Amino acid sequence: MELTLRALGVLAALGLAALLTHFFEPAALSDAQERGPAAPAGPRAPAELASNPDRWMHPAGPVMALLGVLFALVVIPFGPDLVPSDLGIGVFYFIVVVDFVVLGLSLGGWGANTRNSVDVYYRATAQLVAYVVPLGLAYIGAIMMARSLSTVSIVEAQAGMWFIVLQPVGFALYLVTGLMQAYRPPFVEPFAAFIDHGVYGASFPWQALLWRLALSSLMFLIAAMGAVLYLGGWRGPLLPGPVWMLLKTFALMAVMVWGGSRAPLLTTGRMLELSWKVLTPVGLVNVLLVGALILLGVGPS
Amino acid sequence: MSFAEVAEWFAFAILAVISVAGALGMATTMSMFRSGIFLMASFIGVAGLFVLLSADLLGLLQVMMYIGGMLVMILFMVLFSHDPGGSMMAEMDMSLIERFFSLGLSSPPDEGMEHGDGMDMGGSGGHEGMEHEGMEHGDGMDMGGSGGHEGMDMGGMDMSMTTPVKRWAAALSLVLGGGLVALLLLRPAWPTTDATPSPESARMIGELLMSKYMMAFESAGLLILIGIFGAVLVARPGAYPDRDARDAYVTADLPPAPIEEGRPPSADAPVPPEALEEVTVNEAHRDKAGGPPSLNGPAGHAASQSAEGDN
Repeated sequence: MELTLRALGVLAALGLAALLTHFFEPAALSDAQERGPAAPAGPRAPAELASNPDRWMHPAGPVMALLGVLFALVVIPFGPDLVPSDLGIGVFYFIVVVDFVVLGLSLGGWGANTRNSVDVYYRATAQLVAYVVPLGLAYIGAIMMARSLSTVSIVEAQAGMWFIVLQPVGFALYLVTGLMQAYRPPFVEPFAAFIDHGVYGASFPWQALLWRLALSSLMFLIAAMGAVLYLGGWRGPLLPGPVWMLLKTFALMAVMVWGGSRAPLLTTGRMLELSWKVLTPVGLVNVLLVGALILLGVGPS
Repeated sequence: MSFAEVAEWFAFAILAVISVAGALGMATTMSMFRSGIFLMASFIGVAGLFVLLSADLLGLLQVMMYIGGMLVMILFMVLFSHDPGGSMMAEMDMSLIERFFSLGLSSPPDEGMEHGDGMDMGGSGGHEGMEHEGMEHGDGMDMGGSGGHEGMDMGGMDMSMTTPVKRWAAALSLVLGGGLVALLLLRPAWPTTDATPSPESARMIGELLMSKYMMAFESAGLLILIGIFGAVLVARPGAYPDRDARDAYVTADLPPAPIEEGRPPSADAPVPPEALEEVTVNEAHRDKAGGPPSLNGPAGHAASQSAEGDN
């Protein structure tokens, strides 16, 4: 009974999050550039609809992606007691479960069987390779200081000071890799207009709806996780916890989307280059810095 | 039985079916892509079994490794194989189980599609439109009288290609598999323990890796690092003269301009969305196929994708 209630709560939260993000995100996007998964909806005539799809994998794509974001939402805390499930390994679980979105994009892209959508699979996988290592390094700083993988403990470890103050480098790294993970500009290669907006161009209407739901929630989740890791989660004066959490999430989303959509677009090749030559070394330096801070006794005791 | 026990049995049954059916599907489906996905499903089922045994960290590690790992592995399979989508094989004479796991594969492009189109599709790595000349295999010989197969003929062409049945290999695997199951079942007594799984297991695994097994852990890391160096060292140079030429071909944001005219389009110049809409996708692809030097074959697009990592 309680489990059912929680599941319904997560579903409702997902719908709300996707809705808020859907209307909030375009406001921060730059008009001059590609908009990635937030490309304007409306009646378009896709150049090639999926006319000869794989009958199992094509519909499985959006469902898999939606399952991924649904599972990921389970560990996001909106208050000390307002977390669907405080897993002991919550942050790691989050990283793993969000990967199902990539799996969904691959299934949907390949399964649609148009030449543009097959490109989605290539590009999404290459992007996965580009962000997966720096993303882990961006999480590690916060985990090291909090000495826990649980999202609730990480927020509570920031009672004295937010981690953004102690680890600005890690925060910057999270902003970049988070955008890459969310397929937002400047990392829109799998959703480029050139390939007819990726999976959108080869989806039937119900699939397009699920894709939008999944990808809007993905942006929300990544901003929310950023708020948990670096901005102190639900903590704040006066206002109740959930309000603070939402405020921080959307503030972070605004920063990410606004900044990202004004940076030059990157191809997958340059993303890999950025990842290996810049982000990964920066992440390793951040780990060293945080380790030194911990040895010096800075941070939560 | 309490509700929790029933739920546990139920979960076990589902996960076990996923693991076994995934492995079976991996071996019998006609599509390389599906094969990889089935293998991933099998491993994820096993990860679920780990979670059921309260080893959640191990389960999650398994999921993490196999989603990313399998997707990349399938990518390479697709880039290097002739018919990754299996539509060429979809016409062949399949056994029941092969047919089951190949259900719903996109059909071959014979009807209502011109030849030029077919070539194009091959170029984008799509699973349609492979030439049929490659199909004259003599495998029908191998399976005389294995039962259950009927010859099919497709519009005059002899399409009686089948997967060969290797009787000895099948017998051997049956015996070995039976032996393994027997070992499990006939084991005299399963040890039981009262120990309850600790919620701190992640921390304990971490401490073990950093103390008792540190040598193995660190040297594995070193080995992988050396492997990466090796991969960078032996990588082929890309097919493009410079980075701008490659970007002009693979870029997301610009319809590719002809490279010969000396003005390499830069990825940085923003293009108004209206300009992008005007280029229909078909035209864009025609440009794409003609644009880059030395990449005109059907594998051209795939090669460009693989060349990305090389520079």
